[in-house]
Amino acid sequence: MMSSSISVLRLGGVLIVTVPSDPDDDTISDLQVRVLQAMEGSPALGLVLDISTVQTVDSFFARTITETVQMVALMGGITVLSGMQASVAVTTTQLGLTLGTIPTALDIDRAMVMLGTLLDGRRI
Amino acid sequence: MSTMEVAQLPILTERDIALSRQGIREAAVECGFGLTDVTRIVTAASELSRNIFLYAGTGLVTWRLLSGSRVGIEITFTDEGPGIDDLDKAMQPGYTSGRGMGMGLPGAKRLMDEMEVHSTPGVGTTIVVRKWLQQSYA
Repeated sequence: MMSSSISVLRLGGVLIVTVPSDPDDDTISDLQVRVLQAMEGSPALGLVLDISTVQTVDSFFARTITETVQMVALMGGITVLSGMQASVAVTTTQLGLTLGTIPTALDIDRAMVMLGTLLDGRRI
Repeated sequence: MSTMEVAQLPILTERDIALSRQGIREAAVECGFGLTDVTRIVTAASELSRNIFLYAGTGLVTWRLLSGSRVGIEITFTDEGPGIDDLDKAMQPGYTSGRGMGMGLPGAKRLMDEMEVHSTPGVGTTIVVRKWLQQSYA
């Protein structure tokens, strides 16, 4: 099962999740459940969703990720999406997906810096 | 136009959508497409494979490399589902008759060079998409 490849790491008050490169729908849904469980278990102020290895973003992926970000926001967490490949950015845009207004960063390092700014002094 | 290679994959479960992506990615790479075009082709295939699963339940995805005066890839999505009532509407971004997001058909058309939709309500739908190597800009 691909779903076992998803791990939610915790770094201080931030959760870091690396999305597998070609997840099937079940794996994406499982990712959402795991993130929400992690938020519930020990609330985090921030979430970094790293998609640097993701090769394809289709409408199901985009919808589930957007939903997850909204759910995390309802639980008090800010999400930064990191590492989108150029080919994926081109395709996602041409497909007509916007991913809402999710903050994005080039890589995890920059995502952590951005979260620090977005959380503005709150201890992470 | 000669046929180099034909492959087919039945869409029976949600997991087969990922399998169609994987098979078509390999074929597109083999055909010589660059990374961005491979991503466009695979993403279009993912949308259209999911449409089969969402609207018809089951169906068949077939792909082949085209050679001759032009080199490219052709992918055919066939199902015996309910068909598309209003094709003009279905081609409008954001329109959905059911569980989708309304991105599949218009999105796939933008990502590919050619798309033909044949659909008869109550009988089924066949969608053929093509992308040509020469028209690749990225």
